[in-house]
Amino acid sequence: MMRRIFLWLAILCVVGLAWGLRLRALEQLPIDYDEDDYLGAAIHYAQALRERDLAEIINYDYNYEHPPLTKLAYGLAILPLTPASPIIERPSSAPIVSSLPEPHFQTARKLSIILGTLQVLVLALIDPLAGLLLAINTWQIKYTSQIMLEPLPSLTSILAVILYIKSGRRWNVWLFLSALALGITVAAKFPYGIVGVAIAVHWLMEEYPAQERLKGLKLIRWLAPVAGFAILAAITFFATNPRLWTDPLSRLGAAITFHGDYATSDYVRGAGLPPWQPFVWLFQSVPWHPGVFLVSMDVLITLMAILGYKQMWERQRVFALWLVIALGFLLVWPTKWPQYILILTVPLSLASAYGFRASIWQPLVNWIKRDKHHTRARIAGSPLKIGWQELRKALPWLIPGLVVLGFITVYPMVFQGAMALTDFGSSAIRDGLSGGVWRETWKGFSGQVEPVTAAFFQRSMSKEVHYAGTTLLRQLIGGAAADYLVFGILWTFLAIASQTALGVSVALLLDRAGVLFKGWWRAIYILPWAIPEFVGGLMWAQIFDPRFGWFNQAGKTWYETADYPGAANFITQWQSNPTYALLVLLITATWCGFPFMMLAASAGLKLIPVDLHDAAEIDGAGGWKKFRFVIWPLLVPLLLPAVIIRAIFSFNQFYLFLVLEPPFPLATFSVTSFFFFDQLGQYGASAAINIFTILVLIALILWFNQWSKAAEGYTYA
Amino acid sequence: MRKILWWQQMVYQLLLLAVGLFALLPVWGMLRIALDGAIKGAPTEFRLWPEEFTLAVFQHVWENPSQTLSIPGLLKNSMIVAGGAAIFSVVFGASMAYAFARFRFPGRKTGLFALLVGAMLPPVALMTPLYVLLSALGLRTSLLGLMIVYAAFSMVFCIWSMRASFQAVPLELEEASYLDGATHWVTFLKVSLPLALPSIAVAALLAFLLGYTEFAIGWLFVESSDNVTMAMAVSGMMRQSGAEWGNLSALALLMSIPVVIIFMILYRYLMRGMLAGRLED
Repeated sequence: MMRRIFLWLAILCVVGLAWGLRLRALEQLPIDYDEDDYLGAAIHYAQALRERDLAEIINYDYNYEHPPLTKLAYGLAILPLTPASPIIERPSSAPIVSSLPEPHFQTARKLSIILGTLQVLVLALIDPLAGLLLAINTWQIKYTSQIMLEPLPSLTSILAVILYIKSGRRWNVWLFLSALALGITVAAKFPYGIVGVAIAVHWLMEEYPAQERLKGLKLIRWLAPVAGFAILAAITFFATNPRLWTDPLSRLGAAITFHGDYATSDYVRGAGLPPWQPFVWLFQSVPWHPGVFLVSMDVLITLMAILGYKQMWERQRVFALWLVIALGFLLVWPTKWPQYILILTVPLSLASAYGFRASIWQPLVNWIKRDKHHTRARIAGSPLKIGWQELRKALPWLIPGLVVLGFITVYPMVFQGAMALTDFGSSAIRDGLSGGVWRETWKGFSGQVEPVTAAFFQRSMSKEVHYAGTTLLRQLIGGAAADYLVFGILWTFLAIASQTALGVSVALLLDRAGVLFKGWWRAIYILPWAIPEFVGGLMWAQIFDPRFGWFNQAGKTWYETADYPGAANFITQWQSNPTYALLVLLITATWCGFPFMMLAASAGLKLIPVDLHDAAEIDGAGGWKKFRFVIWPLLVPLLLPAVIIRAIFSFNQFYLFLVLEPPFPLATFSVTSFFFFDQLGQYGASAAINIFTILVLIALILWFNQWSKAAEGYTYA
Repeated sequence: MRKILWWQQMVYQLLLLAVGLFALLPVWGMLRIALDGAIKGAPTEFRLWPEEFTLAVFQHVWENPSQTLSIPGLLKNSMIVAGGAAIFSVVFGASMAYAFARFRFPGRKTGLFALLVGAMLPPVALMTPLYVLLSALGLRTSLLGLMIVYAAFSMVFCIWSMRASFQAVPLELEEASYLDGATHWVTFLKVSLPLALPSIAVAALLAFLLGYTEFAIGWLFVESSDNVTMAMAVSGMMRQSGAEWGNLSALALLMSIPVVIIFMILYRYLMRGMLAGRLED
């Protein structure tokens, strides 16, 4: 009983918080792109409703690319108000307008926050913590507090999923309501239909008949219910989409074609956002409205979602599918506007809630319990005394190293920490060299001065160092470096994957008995490892040079005569196109890194007993099966230390980037820090990035340790 | 084990050849440019083989690496800076590594974790404060300053890997030495150090290579043209607009040759510790 009361209290608090944050955003957020379009449409629809002019509702074609349901809803919301004068219709790429009619603007926004808060309520009913995380997500707050298309489909998409779960896939009222919600979702904004895909995939997965071959009737029995559900949703979609009541197919076609054309238009391309941009949005808080959102924990939410995903996959499969399918869609779809991520904030928050409980709450509880245990043990015995004796023995051995390290690494690190708290820049170098950094941090700590605000890309012109407090570090944690953080993670992952794949493949080939010239091949493969990284980078830079490179010279006649612009674009534009540049970097990094992985895998393969190969072959496992189920599981733990080493190395990769000079945002933290120091002369910012790098590295090492015993072996071997 | 059939052999060899071409392609690309006397500026046409095979470019670069120093002078600076850093790291770190390998003092685990984090830091993470601190001491632009910087980059890593080499020395040998009445210090000098020496030498070589191939931070710190190292000369030529591709290639290859030789001799050593969990990169 008490539990229930607490639960309801928690839900109430979450909803209250969501409402408060959204109300604040409603009042403080400036007018944004598209708000004039949607409010204009709403005013038009309100007029048509007032005049009971159905034909106008059906045929009104401004902003036809988006279905009218959400705009109609806004129209209904402002219907009771005195009619407003129509807003001039402009193309969607036009600049932001300066004012919109009141009180219609406020009223329409109020509908947004009502829908947005209801969405939080629904999620909080399944999981209050997830509801809380959705309530404080700044992207969610922004786009459900403005006149956008997002609030309505956000709400109905979660309803569709929850009703589907509640129905248990039986044909009851819940299932009908779920199909209804799904239809409305698509009629409110197309991309949100992705939940329908998630539901269908989940349904088919759950009902997949085990151990039977799907034929004829069985196949139909498996697919038919899902198809029925889809038809029901489609009927709702057409029913709630008045524009399609006449001439449905061509109008639907026109809307969809518009999105296809828009996605490949110069306007979208001109934004220059890389394919992985959705991750960049997820790894930062809304950067454009400082002070509006009271909490900015978006980075943490995303990180925890990564940690909690596996558990969500086990417990809430539909949401897990929703998250991964939506993410796939966002990565593939060329338009990368930030509001698109709202199609996955719900499953993201849920995954994050699992992550929080497993990675922060549980360890904390365990730690408190263990700590009690420890103090008791300490009082009981006297291992402490023996420890001090050991220390006295060890001290003379430690002293030379400690003294030297103290001077050349520890003190510089502490000094770097102090630098990160200032706006130290190249104009204040004289002051900084004569103790300005320590003076200012001391003043700051003792409260003698108020911190000034320091910012990245904004160099202080002062001749003196100033205390800036933690402004730089907080900006970094809040997502100022999201572009680099996301690229760093992506880069580490892709570089490791390609190096390991090639290295292990080659090691497997060389491991086969009877293959000739093994020694020769191995000697050739080691060569890239022996060549210094920056010389290797230079070699590839020469090959990929847009004008004089081998690649261009070899392919020029071919792609010019065969009229194949793709290849020409790749070779001439890779230095300015993030995707192409990433490919060139990956080829180079694979070349540099695969020998090391090959040697590691070869050494590992030697340790796998020959009997196992024979046993597997006797059991009839050949080729792929033998590798997948016999060799790979034994190889992974042997390979892991090498993978971790290369992962850290890739995360820190520096010289390769310096030589190949890829475009923004392709840079690791090392490169970024160097750039801020060398090019921009922002020493404080460079120090702050370094401190942040160290924090990320510590987190990575701790994570590796927790993740696998093999990593622990590496750490404390 | 079954023998493999001739067509399987063919398939394997073709696959291995493909990877081999991938590995050799850029190396040959650079070598071909360096060996071609006919290239003026950048290569203008596609060629697999040098048009005018010659070693003149290498000779030209050897005499004129477009720095005030000659190649021997550049190499001398590289040796002072990188070799100095390696010796410094090993000499001052050895006893600490031994302590971490053999004593169980309080704070050891924390210390180990700190060493691990330190070993994995990118050089740039120390560059920023060292620039300011060495400038304040007036050491920044000197060879000694650069040596200290490179030592700071590699010392923690050296301690980390030397610790593992000391741990690999059988404890029984040390105990036997104590039974003969030897002190800790004598045991260390006479038993542990000689046995761990090969691995320590490998650690030192890796520290050396780090300094030998470093250029970006070197250019940031060094101002006098007398203090330029070999790697810095290569990158200096790379940054020059309109530099001859042939000269640049030849210089980069000249710089790489010692590294390649060291790696080819050492690679078995480098891989030995791998399965015990100790890794170098």
